[in-house]
Amino acid sequence: MSLSRREFLKSSAAASAAAAIGMNVPSELEASANAAEAGWRWDKAACRFCGTGCGIMMATKNGKIVAVKGDPAAPVNRGLNCIKGYFNAKIMYGADRLTQPLLRVDANGNFDKKGKFAPVSWKRAFDEMEIHIRKALKASGPEGVAVFASGQYTVMEGYAAQKMMKGGFRSNAIDPNARHCMASAVVGFYQTFGIDEPSGCYDDIELTDTVVSWGSNMAEMHPILWSRVTDRKLSDPDRVKVINMSTYRHRTSDLADIEIIFSPNTDLAMWNYIAREIVYNNPDAIDWDFLKKNIIFAASPVNMGYGMRRAGEKSVTPVRPDGSAGKYSAKEMETINHEMVHKVSAKEAPALEPYGYKEGDDMVNKPAGLKHWEISFEEYKKFLAPYTLDYVAKIAKGDPDEPLEQFKEKLQTLANLYIEKGRKVVSFWTMGMNQHTRGTWVNTLSYNVHFMLNKQALPGSGAFSLTGQPSACGTAREVGTFCHRLPADLMVKNPKHRAITEKKWYIPNGTLNPVGNQHIMKIHRDIEDGVVKFAWVNVCNAYQDSASAKHWIKAARTMDNFIVTSDGYPGISAMVSDLVLPSAMIYEKWGAYGNAERRTQHWRQQVLPVGNAMSDTWQWVELSKRFTVEDLWGPYTLRNGVKLADVRAEAEKMGYSKDTTMFEILYANERAKSYKVDLDSFPQKGYDNTECIGDSRNVKGENGEVFKGYGFMLHEYLFEEYASFGRGHGHDLAPFTTYHKVRGLKWPVVDGKETSWRFNVKYDPYAAYHAKENGRGSTHAFYGPLAKALSQGNLLGITDKKKKPLTDKAKIFARPYMDPPEMPDEEYDTWLCTGRVLEHWHSGTMTMRVPELFRAVPEALCYMNPKTAEEKGLKQGDLCWVESRRGKVKAHVETRGRNRPPRGLVFVPWFDEKVFINKVCLDATCPQSKQTDYKKCAVKIYKA
Amino acid sequence: MKTISKITLGLVTASMLFVGCGNDATPAKKEVVKPTISEESLGLRKVSLFEEDKAVAPRKTAYSTAYAGGSKKINRAFQDAPPMIPHDTTGMLPIKINDNQCLGCHLPDVAPTVGATSIPPSHFTNFRPASVAVKGENTSSEKLAHISIKKENKLVGARFNCSQCHAPQSDTPLAVKNNFKPEYLDADGAHKSGWRGARMLEGLNTQESVK
Repeated sequence: MSLSRREFLKSSAAASAAAAIGMNVPSELEASANAAEAGWRWDKAACRFCGTGCGIMMATKNGKIVAVKGDPAAPVNRGLNCIKGYFNAKIMYGADRLTQPLLRVDANGNFDKKGKFAPVSWKRAFDEMEIHIRKALKASGPEGVAVFASGQYTVMEGYAAQKMMKGGFRSNAIDPNARHCMASAVVGFYQTFGIDEPSGCYDDIELTDTVVSWGSNMAEMHPILWSRVTDRKLSDPDRVKVINMSTYRHRTSDLADIEIIFSPNTDLAMWNYIAREIVYNNPDAIDWDFLKKNIIFAASPVNMGYGMRRAGEKSVTPVRPDGSAGKYSAKEMETINHEMVHKVSAKEAPALEPYGYKEGDDMVNKPAGLKHWEISFEEYKKFLAPYTLDYVAKIAKGDPDEPLEQFKEKLQTLANLYIEKGRKVVSFWTMGMNQHTRGTWVNTLSYNVHFMLNKQALPGSGAFSLTGQPSACGTAREVGTFCHRLPADLMVKNPKHRAITEKKWYIPNGTLNPVGNQHIMKIHRDIEDGVVKFAWVNVCNAYQDSASAKHWIKAARTMDNFIVTSDGYPGISAMVSDLVLPSAMIYEKWGAYGNAERRTQHWRQQVLPVGNAMSDTWQWVELSKRFTVEDLWGPYTLRNGVKLADVRAEAEKMGYSKDTTMFEILYANERAKSYKVDLDSFPQKGYDNTECIGDSRNVKGENGEVFKGYGFMLHEYLFEEYASFGRGHGHDLAPFTTYHKVRGLKWPVVDGKETSWRFNVKYDPYAAYHAKENGRGSTHAFYGPLAKALSQGNLLGITDKKKKPLTDKAKIFARPYMDPPEMPDEEYDTWLCTGRVLEHWHSGTMTMRVPELFRAVPEALCYMNPKTAEEKGLKQGDLCWVESRRGKVKAHVETRGRNRPPRGLVFVPWFDEKVFINKVCLDATCPQSKQTDYKKCAVKIYKA
Repeated sequence: MKTISKITLGLVTASMLFVGCGNDATPAKKEVVKPTISEESLGLRKVSLFEEDKAVAPRKTAYSTAYAGGSKKINRAFQDAPPMIPHDTTGMLPIKINDNQCLGCHLPDVAPTVGATSIPPSHFTNFRPASVAVKGENTSSEKLAHISIKKENKLVGARFNCSQCHAPQSDTPLAVKNNFKPEYLDADGAHKSGWRGARMLEGLNTQESVK
């Protein structure tokens, strides 16, 4: 079968609706009339919570949700949900739902940053937003207008926000909370594969023999995937091995054959130990044919810092004799100073020896960006030399009470399981490897091991990054609501990518801003530095979820800026804001999420929003009515000197006038209007559609008039226009209507068929196409296009600048163990790790309002080892202080709970507003991915 | 500034007034806007974000101490919602691969005799097709014929981790009331799962036109 590229793309773009077959209900299986008699309407939907992406069935009656059940037809979860999944039924009914915009005002009703909140109309809310956006643009240009975006945006919301921010305001300062959860995985994917998102799929669980969980408490954070692991384990207990790698014991250990408790950050060393075992002690296990055809070796700078503030930034200036600097105390600066110069420790010195460092050396850190270069296998082998069992066991053993020999045995067994011929292995990870000051590094190290053994992108084998949020993949990553991204892996800094986007958006060439550096911590820091003057919190809780929280809260409340939060419930971000907007929650709007196995799932609006709440999409579209070509598309000079062209004349040539609004250009254009409201046909028939046709609440919109709907099928327009970016480029999505007929499809969807294992010629039509094109005759083609030509060098740097292409190949990286910037010392003698618990989602705004979930875990506890408690003079149930260089909070001591840390480490979850642990955490990030390391900082614990 | 407004947002909404104001050429309406809601009244913290020392008091967890068999069952949140655990679980958790103490009382052949809630038929039903599709067919079930419903004579492995759906309940005053109203299809729906047999397929065809 010879298919030209052109034909291939055409057929995939057609992503045939033919695949969508109506469901035949065999009469003998006809459902009982029970629910129908009761007047219940069942419809499918996606779960609101984690990145697993379970399907739920939702029953509504008289405009209210009455029940939820697991969807037996959903391939992810097959009729089962976790406790949060079931309680989707109740998340929208907390008594303190926001029902009206709230603005801080003085006694006369004028905006007053120091004022209390008053309920206001949507019109007034948009008036204030408009005023403050104009002020911010005037003061700082596009860099002054920012959005805290979300991995919980629906696909359409993210796309709507992206268009107005990047196309309208020409600001790239839109970055999601997914930065905090997935960014290291993303950069790992880009650097290794040249394209984002996993090779494999969840079916790997049923197909594998070995599940290794690295820094992922799947039992609580991905319970349904864990139920699949459990099922697999129980089906063949002798063959199937489960290994849990963690810095403390938790529920995932409870079913594991082996539990490896390691010292924070030493996952880097353990991955390199396994690689060394392969290269030095089991070279026969290496699949050289696979490696030669598909893989090259690479290195990058090691002295890249820890993503903290750098000397000279406004808020850390001036440095005072007592060690304090700007807005940061001397204590805080003790840690921040590592950003500039770091003294090489005894722990990391052997690993850094191949790079020319020894213990006690000053490592002078410089921003390194994403630069990397090709090295030889011999050089990679030299890099691996230090990771002997003795060295790695010594630095990695995390439980001081475990004998070293026992720990060594476990490491050896772990390596053996990976290496064993014919044994399938899946490595899963989540926040442990992503929230890491070397998060990008450790992500890439996982693929090294799988590549060398040819156990990647095969059914039942592969390194598989699990996502935290329900649409971190579907929206944040695929739609590209990051500061540096555009849809479908396009990048703002690439002129060709900007041109493609400008064309699709019908906006003038040169409109898009090429500088995308305002990642989520940078937005907080830019607010503190006085650059960002307007910030809008969308579908996240930026003021509860960010580490070093006191700084950002103080900046928001005391500086000259305007902070807006859109949410279903008032959380900490709402408390901090100047304007609070009531958002429609998930089942009060049409939407789509994309899960961690590339599965895109849509749902319909099940009920009307409460009060005057309206969807985030609507809020963006209404705001766009307030800004014209003349307002936004003049010239700007960014702070780094880059000039944004005046594109107004170009806009006029395109037929826009200077008064044309962004609403007309970006949302209510001719293409949009071709997507019709059709209340007589599937999938619209019988379902509410607030944005498109208004609803019986008669909410008054942006102009003070009753909002009657946009009159066209906005959701379908946004989805289809977004999908057009990826079709034919390895990101193919099926048509909008198809998704309403199926329980999700894994992209790329080519000729109506989903793709289960990417890069594998047998299962991925793109891989088949590329393998044929490149003529290597390989089983795989790693066809991602990013960074596919590299200079040559050695561990220390580039020796030959000339770039050599590596078409369709992936990379194995040399990346050493290094310490995190803050580790326990005499005063702050305990590691703090934060994270989630099963029953609560993120900052708890939804789950704390569901009685069953609230009562299951009503408070964030400080989980600690009984011996640690004893050392500190604490008992079970005592109130203790958890204090770092940045702040302190009180929590009750738990020594017998589900999390059982070794001595010297405590775990405090972050869902509880009363135990505001992010005041204590450190905002160090992976310098490459900019993802915060919430898993490591140093604290002291004492009785409160 | 200690006065925390007790006015709920709902009430405020209801009391919002729109008053005509005819000065402009267009008959604009001017809202009456009064600062009535303190930031501390929003959310669950109820204390200034800058405060930690005195005012912030974490809630206290107090799970039931009633022994298993000696506690009062908790109503299911809605029809077929997972029941919550009314009894003390000390010593029963964590569930281990070779040690699931929940089964000791809740397996259907034992449960009635000890007064425990019986694990329902849904937990002995496997919905996951026996083989994984590796030939490129879509995994999404587009027809009821694709849905696998297999009765098993043992607890389905995927449902082994009881604590992923069933949790003990602390006697802690709710932070916020929830207005969800359950409706039970069965007379005993508050205590018993009715999700069995044909009802397992109920509503799955979401392409049916809605009356």
